Formats: sequence, structure tokens, C-alpha cells
Amino acid sequence: MTPNPIPNLAPNPTLNLAACEATDVIMACEGLNFRYLDRYPALVDVSMDVRRGEKLALLGANGSGKSTLLKVLDGLVFPQTGTFRAFGSEVTEDTLEDEQMSAGFRSRVGFVFQNSDAQVFSPSVREEIAFGPLQMGMSADETGQRVDDVLAMIGIADLVDRAPFQLSGGQKKRVAIASVLVMNPEVLLFDEPTAALDPRTQEWLTGLIEELADAGKTIVHATHDLEVLDRLADRCLVFSEEHRIVAEGTPADVLADSDLLVSVNLVHPRTRPHPR
Amino acid sequence: MTVTVPAEAATPSWLLQGEFAMCPCGCIGKRKKGSFVEKTLDGSAGLMRQVMFGQDIADQPGLLQRIDPRLKLASLLVLLFAVALVRNIVVLVVAYLLTVAVAAASRIPAAFFIKRVWLFIPIFTGIVVIPATLSIITPGDIVLPLWTWHGTTQGFTSQGLTAAGLIVTRVALSISLVVLLTLTTSWVRLLAAMRGLGVPRVFVLIVGMAYRYIFLLLGSVTDMYESRKARTVGTVTHDKAARGFVTSTAGALLSKSHTLSEEVHQAMTSRGYRGDAKTLQQFALTRGDAVYAVVVIVLAVTIVLADHSLGR
Repeated sequence: MTPNPIPNLAPNPTLNLAACEATDVIMACEGLNFRYLDRYPALVDVSMDVRRGEKLALLGANGSGKSTLLKVLDGLVFPQTGTFRAFGSEVTEDTLEDEQMSAGFRSRVGFVFQNSDAQVFSPSVREEIAFGPLQMGMSADETGQRVDDVLAMIGIADLVDRAPFQLSGGQKKRVAIASVLVMNPEVLLFDEPTAALDPRTQEWLTGLIEELADAGKTIVHATHDLEVLDRLADRCLVFSEEHRIVAEGTPADVLADSDLLVSVNLVHPRTRPHPR
Repeated sequence: MTVTVPAEAATPSWLLQGEFAMCPCGCIGKRKKGSFVEKTLDGSAGLMRQVMFGQDIADQPGLLQRIDPRLKLASLLVLLFAVALVRNIVVLVVAYLLTVAVAAASRIPAAFFIKRVWLFIPIFTGIVVIPATLSIITPGDIVLPLWTWHGTTQGFTSQGLTAAGLIVTRVALSISLVVLLTLTTSWVRLLAAMRGLGVPRVFVLIVGMAYRYIFLLLGSVTDMYESRKARTVGTVTHDKAARGFVTSTAGALLSKSHTLSEEVHQAMTSRGYRGDAKTLQQFALTRGDAVYAVVVIVLAVTIVLADHSLGR
């Protein structure tokens, strides 16, 4: 399985481009508060932004709110208070009801879930990858061509007619990524991308994210894996276990602050650094 | 910055000592037949094996595997209709033998095909129709007397046996046709064929997702039962605790499915789903398909005409 180079992934010319060209900030959250079932806090007074073309890492312990923030950034859950703007427009449950707004937003933001089983829901790999472009109104011919391109790029052309239950964890992750890349989104959100993957698949995925970033994609990923942080991020936001953003900086700044890392439960005082 | 690390509780002393376990000298316990845990695990593994075997057959380069699945689905409906009209058992038997020949040409092992059809369903059908073979239900010429009631001999009648044989053969033939379709067509292609024949997209999507997630939930069930097995010392009893385990497993599975369904919906929404799913369709009829269609129509007409000319 030799992956092909990335096909032409130029940004989609949709949504309010004029409004967002003026600034590098393509997504901005202000004072977000989110509670599950109106009871369990997941985000507390979170303000942050995402800049065009950057690699942004959301760091934090389990349950600190990283995944919830990614879901907010993908317009899947909506905060009880606070505002979220993307590409110059406010994103709310109400604004996403608008067909044009929804299609524009969905085509520009792609989300790779942590649980590939939730994301790979179609009966075959081909149908799974074709799902997004078809919902966006792309023709069957163009969709078929894109599916073939992405299958070759990810190196899973041999899995095309397989059913998801016949795939390994790593293969499912590749299919999930392919199903998002085929839509050619401008912003890619990854939830714990390297979690539960074998070293070879982890390295492949790290390389792919680097390659996508080099191609101009904006990458936002949630992780508590500090091993490859310097490769996967230009900027980091650190969540405390109280669901607040408590620090921001470059990977070098964050990794150098061991007190911060211990206090937010990203490392344990007894953890020994891995030999490089 | 002050660093606060949560204080760790001391390890209980019992955890630091060895536990009394079975004598290392060998088997000393009584043996019992498999419990509900083993049966569930076996059933789960058996289902997976069957599905994988079915998939292997569907991938073989056999006769029916080459036919367009839409055509196969449509021809199944035509043949089922023709079979339903037949009243002559000889015609049914000849048609059944033909399905066995087609199964062989489609690389389905004959013994497997016959067993799959005859093992359960016709037997159950047979049990249902047995009363109809008796003179009490179907009066006629008694071929095997069984008892006398109020001076009248009762037993199996030739009319009753013919009717029962007709029903059992018809059911077996119908099931053979369905098994031929399902074994030679992968689930993915079968779903696509349903869409191609105008079955509503949402219905096909739901069926497809249900099929896809059965295996995931089956994996969850296997995990739960295996963890129970790993923590079971001695034999599993079918008591209140066992019933409690089964119900709590069902509850946990329901909760998991609910969480998963929310995540799946989010994953669909994220990729632009707005309630009207659009799906890929990629079939093209070939000359072989046209020949197959003609053969099926001729066969269906022949079955009906032969039955008509032969009578009951």
C-alpha cells in the first residue's frame, strides 16, 4: 500500500469569503460555556481563535473539554452562552438551519472523530467516502473520481469494497480520514488523532497532517499526546481540569513549563521523558 | 506555580498477598455443560463465521455472482410468484433440483446449500402441516391407518400427504431461491440493488446502518460476556444473579447504542447530512444480464405452463 501524493486540495470558494479574507482569524469563540444535560460542565468561559493555515493543538487531560470544543467548532453542539463565529458569520443552531450557510460551513470544515466506528457508518468503504461529497450535491461521476483519488492517496484502494467490520482499527482510521479529506475542507479538526494507533499508523498520520498543513490546510487537533507536539502544532491552547483554557504558547513554551503540564494533568511528576 | 498532585491511597494489604486458588496439581472440579455465557460467546462467534463464509461465497467468480444484483432481486420476485402458482409437486421438485444445479454453478458447496435450506425451516413447516395429513383434518383415501374412532378408521390420507408435501416443497424451493440470492450477493450490493429497484433511500440507509452496527454491538456483547467468563470461578449457575447479569448487559448495550447513535448522527451532520441521504449508485447492465433476464422469464413461464398442463 504505497500512498499517492495529495491531490489538488485548493480551498472551496464558498461562504462569506470577502469578510474573512480581511483577517487571518477564520474561527473565533468568545466566552463559551457548555454543560452536558445542563449539569456537567465541559467548557467554562472559553475564548479562543483559529488562524488561517496554522496547526493548533488543544491540550488537556481526559474530560477537560477539548472534544467538546472541537464539536462546537464543527457546529455539532452549541454553547449555552457565548458566541462562535466562523468565516465571518455567527454559527448557531439557527444559522445552520439555512441551507446555503450549512452547505458552505460543512464543506469548509471537516471533523475526524476519535471513535472511527461512529464515523464509518456506511456498508462499504466506497460508500463511506462518497457520502460527504454526495450530500454536498457533487455529481456521481465527480464523486467517484474523488473517491478513487483519495483512496490512492491514503493507500487503501484495496479496501474499497470491504465492509467496516472487516477493517482493523488503523484501517478504520484511514477510512475516516479519507471520508473527510474527500470533501476538501479548509479546516480539519482531529479528535485525539494518534490515540490507540500502532506506531507505524501514528507516524503515517503525523506525516499526513504535516503534509496537509504544508498544503495550506488549517489543522486543529485535540490531544494529550506530547510526543509529536512539535510536529503537529505551531500553537497550543492548554485546558485545565476545570474546563478552562489556562495557557497559550508554542509547543516549545508549553513543553518547557513542567509545572503547568503537571498542574493540568498532562504529565505526572514521576513520568520519565521518552528517549528521542 | 504550586503543583498539587492528588495523594494516592495505600495499596490494601490483601492485594499484596497471593490468593488461595485451585490446586496446581490438576483438574479436581466437576465438569458441567456450557453455561449461557459460553453459549452466547459461541453464538456470537458462529454468526461472525457464517457472515464471513457468506461473504467469501459472494466474492467467488460463480454464475450468479456475475449477474447484476438488481436483476437478481427482480428475478427472485418473478420466480417466487411463479412458484406460488404451482400446484404440481413434480414441477416443484424439478425446479428445486434446478436451484441445486445453479448453486453448484455459483460455487456454493451443495451439502452446505441443501443443509441450509432443509435443516430448520421446512422441518418446522412440516411440523405445522402434519395435522393436515390426518383424515380428521383432510378426509380422503387413508394410506396409513393409525386408530379407530367411533367405528371409523383414522390415519394419514393420500390427499393430506400430497397437500403437505406440496407446501413443504414450495417453502423449500422459495427458501432455496432466497438463499441463492443472499449467498451470491454481498450485502452492500444487495442494498444497492434495493435502491436501484426504487426502495426508499432512507429505508435502505437505515437497514444498511443496522447491519453495519450489529457487528459492533456483537463485539460489545462478546467483550462483556468474556469479561464475565474471565471473572467466573467454578461453574456458572442459571440463578437470579445470572438473570441480573443478562438484564444489566442488555441495559448497558442499550445505553451504548444510544451514545453511538448520537455520535453517528453527528458524524453524518458534519459531512452535510440534512435528513435526505444521497447515496452512490453504480450499476450497468451487460449482455450477460440480458441473457439471464430472458432465461428467468422463460423459466417462470415454463414452470407455470408445465404446472397447468400436468395439473395436480
